[in-house]
Amino acid sequence: MLILGLETSTLRSSVALADRDRVLASASLGVPRRHGEFVGPAIRFCLEQCGLAADRVTGVAVGLGPGLFTGLRVGIATAQAFAAARHLPVVGLSGLDVLAFQERYTDRLICAVIDARRGELFWAFYRAAPGGVQREGGLQLGTIDTLVAELIATGEECLVLGDGALAHRELLEDAEVVVAGPDVAWPDAADLAELSVPRFLREQTQQPLDLQPIYLRAADARIGWETRGRMHGGRQQPTPPTDRS
Amino acid sequence: MLVLGVETSCDETAIGIVEDRFALRANVVASQAQLHGPYGGVVPEVAARAHLDLMLPTIDRALVEAGAHLSDIDAIAVTAGPGLAGALLVGVSAAKGLALARDVPLVGVNHLRAHVEAAQLEVGALDPPLAALVVSGGHTSIVVMDADGSFRQLGATIDDAAGEAFDKIARFLGLGYPGGPEIDRLSQGGNPRAYHFPRAMLHDGTYDLSLSGLKTAVIRELRRLEAVGEEPVLADVAASFQEAIVDVQAIKTLRAVADEGLEQVVLAGGVAANRRLRARMQADCDERGLRLIVPSIPLCTDNGAMVAASGANLLAAGHLDDLSLAVDPNLPLAVATEPPG
Ligand SMILES: [Zn+2]
Repeated sequence: MLILGLETSTLRSSVALADRDRVLASASLGVPRRHGEFVGPAIRFCLEQCGLAADRVTGVAVGLGPGLFTGLRVGIATAQAFAAARHLPVVGLSGLDVLAFQERYTDRLICAVIDARRGELFWAFYRAAPGGVQREGGLQLGTIDTLVAELIATGEECLVLGDGALAHRELLEDAEVVVAGPDVAWPDAADLAELSVPRFLREQTQQPLDLQPIYLRAADARIGWETRGRMHGGRQQPTPPTDRS
Repeated sequence: MLVLGVETSCDETAIGIVEDRFALRANVVASQAQLHGPYGGVVPEVAARAHLDLMLPTIDRALVEAGAHLSDIDAIAVTAGPGLAGALLVGVSAAKGLALARDVPLVGVNHLRAHVEAAQLEVGALDPPLAALVVSGGHTSIVVMDADGSFRQLGATIDDAAGEAFDKIARFLGLGYPGGPEIDRLSQGGNPRAYHFPRAMLHDGTYDLSLSGLKTAVIRELRRLEAVGEEPVLADVAASFQEAIVDVQAIKTLRAVADEGLEQVVLAGGVAANRRLRARMQADCDERGLRLIVPSIPLCTDNGAMVAASGANLLAAGHLDDLSLAVDPNLPLAVATEPPG
């Protein structure tokens, strides 16, 4: 068994290779908006460091979001094409699940929070369970005020982690919530791969086409004539890249 | 040698398969026009989401059409730009996944150049030098393919692309989307000289075009008629508007051909389907003894076969990209496309 893991749904992108016992190789990059250029070479790097060819991979695990739309599509498009080209099974996991997995030994209620841009956050609650964490309730999209209200309403000691939590550290700490540090602020492909292994073993897998990104937000319906203007052939003023998430 | 081409620069998810540079094996396009119709234009985030949904089914359909398997594919070509960043990124990511998994070469292609090279799938090897007018909803460019096979851009619209101007006016006239075919149809019964709309920048000494003033003039004329209580003849408005757009493009292109001393012209891009533009270009070329090459419509509109053909040319010239290939919404024609050495 050799699992290729891809997690690109936040500003950090990462790639890992794992077998049934351990993570064999991983690579990650914390530079935003470089997912597209990073993932391909990182996959090749991990394979080469292990002395393995691409045809040895037996399954692909990928983060489905929620997160940055352009980033998560890089991971899913790459994973789908790779898996389809070799007829491999796939496992898709929410980045929030992967994030919470890092705190699987706490006895507090866990809240994983990813920055959703535009003043909003994605979050979900988890509790430690045998073999990892168990999600309680659905994935949510809302403001920090809504999140703080929800945390207080639980009446429990909460451990909050993720880049969305770090961005509002003071507000959360004022609400007497423990905020985990930047070392566990982003979902990582190594955790994703590790988390997916039992699913591959139990054959709880999907076909590449079944992978659906978790957007949690309708597409921005602005036509963006100004963006299209860039396509006309290079006479336009260069526009700074915008993340449409 | 089979090259699979991936095209996602705008609102068509397209896969083509080309054998030995000149033989078309498959050309499958999954159009998103219905998704964007309600907005009257391409919505970038809607396009990117749809590309992801349509990618694998479109690859499968192309393989079936070619009677091939992914294990038969020798190289992957993909549009790296120009285009919508988020849309391009889906195609490039999928292309990298395929190239990695099958351990085959990857080559990034310039979309405008691919539009021109699509012609080789019908007429065989192009015999440059030649000029090309590449005109669609996303671009309106006049380019030159030099004798050594390299490309130069001579001019481009400085505001709206022709297809975009068609879309906007069609929307204003209450017609469907995309607007080009609607205007083309409505114009059939109209008088192209009923209204006089401006032809901008005709005598500015450049090969650039401007179409947004024309669009504004049409809208202003319709508002004026409404104010004086006069019912516009929509077929005449459409025909006069179309005539102005066609005029500007034909005049600028033919001037470029004359100035560069060329004898061949390629007309490509989705707007090349416009009957008036084709007829006018043919008449102008015939009059001057020039050869006009117009690929058939499925190779004119955005498609994957043109990307495969362009990629096959680059590979034959010894050019390939590594897995760090980046998308570039403004990818210049001359830089990323010239084979090394
Ligand atoms: Zn095009």
